[in-house]
Amino acid sequence: MPRPSDSLQRLIEEFTRLPGIGRKSAQRLALYILKLPAGEVREIAGALLDLKEKMKYCSVCWNFTETDPCPICSGPRRDPGIICVVEEPNDVIAIERTSEYRGLYHVLGGCLSPLEGIGPEELRVRELLPRVGKGVGEVILALSATIEGEATTIYLTKLLKPIGVPVTRLARGISVGGDLEFTDEATLARALEGRVAV
Amino acid sequence: MVLSELSIKNFRNHTHTSIECCRGVNFLLGNNGQGKTNIIEAISYLCLTKSFYAGSDTLVPKFGEGMFEVEGRIVSDGGKPFVVRVAYLRETNEKVFMINGRRVPTLSSVIGKFPIVIFSPEHGSVTTGGPSERRKFLDMVISQSSRAYFKDLLGYRSVLRQRNRVLLDMKLGRQGGNGLLAPWNEQLAALGSAVWWKRHTFITEFSPVVRSVYSHFVDIEERPFLEYRPLGGREFPATQEELSAVFLEILAARENEERRFGTSLVGPHRDDVALTLDGRDLRSYASQGQHKTFIISLKLGEFLYLKSRCNETPLLMLDDVFAELDDARTARVIAYIERVGQAFLTSTHRNPIESWDMNRTEYRTIFIDGGAVAEQKTVVHA
Ligand SMILES: Nc1ncnc2c1ncn2[C@@H]1O[C@H](COP(=O)(O)OP(=O)(O)OP(=O)(O)O)[C@@H](O)[C@H]1O
Ligand SMILES: [Mg+2]
Ligand SMILES: [Zn+2]
Repeated sequence: MPRPSDSLQRLIEEFTRLPGIGRKSAQRLALYILKLPAGEVREIAGALLDLKEKMKYCSVCWNFTETDPCPICSGPRRDPGIICVVEEPNDVIAIERTSEYRGLYHVLGGCLSPLEGIGPEELRVRELLPRVGKGVGEVILALSATIEGEATTIYLTKLLKPIGVPVTRLARGISVGGDLEFTDEATLARALEGRVAV
Repeated sequence: MVLSELSIKNFRNHTHTSIECCRGVNFLLGNNGQGKTNIIEAISYLCLTKSFYAGSDTLVPKFGEGMFEVEGRIVSDGGKPFVVRVAYLRETNEKVFMINGRRVPTLSSVIGKFPIVIFSPEHGSVTTGGPSERRKFLDMVISQSSRAYFKDLLGYRSVLRQRNRVLLDMKLGRQGGNGLLAPWNEQLAALGSAVWWKRHTFITEFSPVVRSVYSHFVDIEERPFLEYRPLGGREFPATQEELSAVFLEILAARENEERRFGTSLVGPHRDDVALTLDGRDLRSYASQGQHKTFIISLKLGEFLYLKSRCNETPLLMLDDVFAELDDARTARVIAYIERVGQAFLTSTHRNPIESWDMNRTEYRTIFIDGGAVAEQKTVVHA
């Protein structure tokens, strides 16, 4: 017979696995959910499932989207001549918030980290190459200022340069060791504006 | 700086111990196993945010207790008062460090703020042990005086771990793609040459300091020397840019070898510092007394170096260091440290005046017994 607290315990465990959620927050969330009316809990569960069922990757830029290609890739006012390479969908959101950028994106899905078994094959590097061939005038590498982000920048630069496409990277406004998604909009806008050729 | 008061709770064998300290030499006296070293360890938490020897905080709370607390009142050379507090909770493995009631953003931001030099018997391995002991010594001293060095060092280590994995994968044939090494080489060379450069600058300044301290402890002319040659026989470049280029050059030359070994063979993580006395290698030729005098000189040299670099007089901790020294040599060392700043000395000797012939008019004795203070008093003698 399962003990009465088992289902609560299970939910706490699940929450603990979420990024940024520690044991204490997980407990608080689980107890909050426990007190909600059943209808509201069903709403939340439905939203979670909905997200998983409807969201897919954009086959062009590999951002999350409900339509393929995504609204950015198919947007009439976007400039297809610029591609901004980022690590995660979060970074797209961060850059979009600055309202400074009119080009397209390419979401790598992370950055090089041999220790975690992440090499170029694990990233969407192969998918990037055919995109830069046709009519692209600039590739912006907007990766984190961590050693892994830096390694990825160096790797992609060496890969893209021979193709002949101009490659730039963000200016050093971002603090070293900083993740893009935690950089404030003003700093990010300045880093985009002051990007440098590599 | 001066530590004027220390209060610790549930720290090792101390339930609640408070001591007041004098500006000069503070003797922590008592029999074996009573809790003298534990007090030094508590002070190291205030200055370094961690124990100077225990690898893990979890060992430190008193048996049966879930947390410990250390609080100290520190006055800087400029007269600024600080209340510094460290609390550690074992259950969550959380360490909270507060300065004047404010929690510090990161523990590493504290490093160098309250400089400290600790000398305990284990440090003897700096002169007797392998290269890693001397690298540890270098990193400890330079990190306390240069945050930039500390950052470069941490960055270097992260790059090294990633790069070693690439090399290992290559060796085992798991991943061999060309171009996988280059991104790490560039960063390894940039950070590695920064570390090399700062170590080189440091040794150049530090070696004469050690020689001058050493001369206070010996009658005969014995000349200690520290030599740092990270590039072997090759001339050390005149600029850091050149050094970085040389680093890349060596990496290129040894790439095949590195792939074969599956690990990084070039860089600061392979460094050593040669310690010599009158031009002869210390490890091969020196007597125990010479080793001891050398390591004391390194430690007091560290003290003087940090003092000039941090613009703040470090605390000096000498744990059990006089056990092997004869009275004459001990008297000289004490006479020396009396002049330089505030010091904490542990000893099982009962009476420091008789055995060490104090020159100073004021010092403090603190008797530790079973994790508590049995008696503490300031001694003023004419
Ligand atoms: N977490 C702990 N809780 C309680 N007691 C501890 C803890 N860790 C160590 N001790 C005790 O602390 C004592 C050692 O204290 P310390 O090393 O400070 O002694 P000491 O006075 O320096 O002795 P010595 O002269 O031998 O160096 C030992 O009795 C040890 O059992
Ligand atoms: Mg001891
Ligand atoms: Zn898209």
